[in-house]
Amino acid sequence: MSVSSIILQQLVNGLILGSFYSLVALGYSMVYGIIKLLNFAHGDIYMVGAFVGFAALGVFGGMLGTNWLGILAALIISMILVGLLGMLIHRVAYQPLINKRAPRMSILITAVGVSFTLFNGVMVLTNGEYQSFNTSLGFEGIGIGPINITYTQIVMVSATAILMLSLYWFINRTLYGKAMRAIALDQDACRLMGINVTRTISLTFFVGSALAAAAGVMAGVYYGSIHFFMGFVIGLKAFTAAVIGGIGSIPGAMLGGLILGLLETAGTQLPFVGSAWKDVFAFGILILLLVLKPTGILGKSEIERM
Amino acid sequence: MSRKYLSVIGAAALSLSLVVAGCGASQGGSTAPAGQGSQTASGGEIKIGLPLPMTGSEATYGKDMENSIKLAIDEINAKGGIDGKKIVTVTGDDACDPQQATAAANKLVSAGVVAVVGGYCSGAVVPTLTIYNEKNIPLVVTAANSSKIAAQNPGNAFEINGTAVHQTQKAVELFKKLAAKSVAIVEQGDAYSADLAKQTEAAWKAAGNTVAAHEVTNKGEQDFSSLVTTIKSKNVDLVFWTAYYADGALLIKQLRTGGYKGAIVVGDGSADPKLSQIAGPAAEGTYVLSPPVAEYLPEAKKFAEAYKAKFNQSPGAYAPLAYDGMNLLADALKRAKSTDGKAVIKALSETKDFSGLAGKVNFAADKTLKESNFIVLQIKNSKFALVQ
Repeated sequence: MSVSSIILQQLVNGLILGSFYSLVALGYSMVYGIIKLLNFAHGDIYMVGAFVGFAALGVFGGMLGTNWLGILAALIISMILVGLLGMLIHRVAYQPLINKRAPRMSILITAVGVSFTLFNGVMVLTNGEYQSFNTSLGFEGIGIGPINITYTQIVMVSATAILMLSLYWFINRTLYGKAMRAIALDQDACRLMGINVTRTISLTFFVGSALAAAAGVMAGVYYGSIHFFMGFVIGLKAFTAAVIGGIGSIPGAMLGGLILGLLETAGTQLPFVGSAWKDVFAFGILILLLVLKPTGILGKSEIERM
Repeated sequence: MSRKYLSVIGAAALSLSLVVAGCGASQGGSTAPAGQGSQTASGGEIKIGLPLPMTGSEATYGKDMENSIKLAIDEINAKGGIDGKKIVTVTGDDACDPQQATAAANKLVSAGVVAVVGGYCSGAVVPTLTIYNEKNIPLVVTAANSSKIAAQNPGNAFEINGTAVHQTQKAVELFKKLAAKSVAIVEQGDAYSADLAKQTEAAWKAAGNTVAAHEVTNKGEQDFSSLVTTIKSKNVDLVFWTAYYADGALLIKQLRTGGYKGAIVVGDGSADPKLSQIAGPAAEGTYVLSPPVAEYLPEAKKFAEAYKAKFNQSPGAYAPLAYDGMNLLADALKRAKSTDGKAVIKALSETKDFSGLAGKVNFAADKTLKESNFIVLQIKNSKFALVQ
């Protein structure tokens, strides 16, 4: 392989990795944008999404097959159920604290609590075992010169793009989206205007959780195995991506995910020092980015958050 | 940031549990003064500590080893225990984490254990060695096998699993047999996998060969695509994975998806049938360096059946050694005719041809096995088959 084709192949690798980060980062950013909460349970929502998709594929795989149709069904079911789980978590663990005007730190800790509850719950339910996501997707793909892209990768990236565009449309072109943006600006004013704030926040949790679930199912299909701890690392990475892009900003979360994916992939190609330094490299650059622009790439200081 | 956050919370929770455990022990001491510490005498019980990962990513292994040790204890107790005393256990969850392991070791010490059997993650065993040694508590390490344990052993730890040195010899032997020219070694930066990777690299180079790539990935990361691109670009014909099976299976799958055609060898951390379950057809032909697994040991047939009957599943990779470790300790306790730590440590060092499921146990001067007990398996039709 020539140097240029290695670079191109790594670019493709980085974009695919980054698109997973972006999908999860969106949920962090939306929730932060609307109630200023770092929802640490978000990575675990992604994990639960993968398991719900796994179960759905087990149920519907017999009818629809384990190829794209079955996976699509699993994806939609997982998005709906996990979206509802997100709403439930909001109603049970966050809204009561918001109603009592609890300190932000308390809500943060309930979020950590939700995270532990979710992954330990799944650990008990699955005996801590790895589950393999058996699909009948092949390894075929298209080769552009020496670069190899499988059909699975193309579908994953397209699905991510479709989800993100729909979200963008939803936030910017619908009444509910407008309500979300308004609440991000001023909750009390929204209440005075007759907007149902709690319900809109609930809806935000639904959308954010559904996106994470979609990422979870796609990761399960793409990598082929899921386990209860899979949300931890990606949760951290997606959180980082959201901050880099400018937390609270939707396009920022998308951009942040892609940048992080590309940086990590670039880090494995460092000359002389080797791949052990990839995180030092990637996160060093991220620190530099934040030092230069503390609000993140697309973050605005306190003016608009969605 | 949140990793640090979580570990702070974890540490706080653990120190809390430590305080609670400490209180419990001192209360126990006041009601039954003779039952404390490592003195012989009263009470019909010998307390053995089991430091194992019961939560976290390696919890499956921990549970497997605990099962196995308890099976051995049930058999020992059924035969009348040790000089009439029954063995009881206390499990300390090390979660495969150095900090949690230290807390767990302190918990076991304050619970008054006479000896300790277990230890799965090397990184979690190393910081606990001196904690046990201060109280003269012998430690039979049945799975962890980083050379750091032998290097930092204050004298109370006995390793009955082959160490990286034993495994390295077997690995180089296999590479030669496969006529590898361009080898890539992939590790995860933790004590166990980095150690095996570095020693194998050194041994392979010492044998006059070169290593094309030595790569490090992070635990829990699922994406190896950039690594696969690197490996392919360097025309590697053998990839050696030194870390655990869960991430190893993903690497194997992505190597094959990415079009890598060479040989794949994995270290003993990946010697688990789940490797081929997760990786699917991609795992066919993968070579696996393995500790003595029950299925391939003629002596272990009865053990495997008993394990299956009791726990309703097959024993895992480190189950036979955990079973051997407990029996070895019981043997040493009998020979020492005392539960005094120093006497038991002496008895353990004097072990001669102890016959376990995995063969004979004799200790070298550094308290590791004298002879290697590693075997080479290959995945054929989704099953492990013995190669040599």
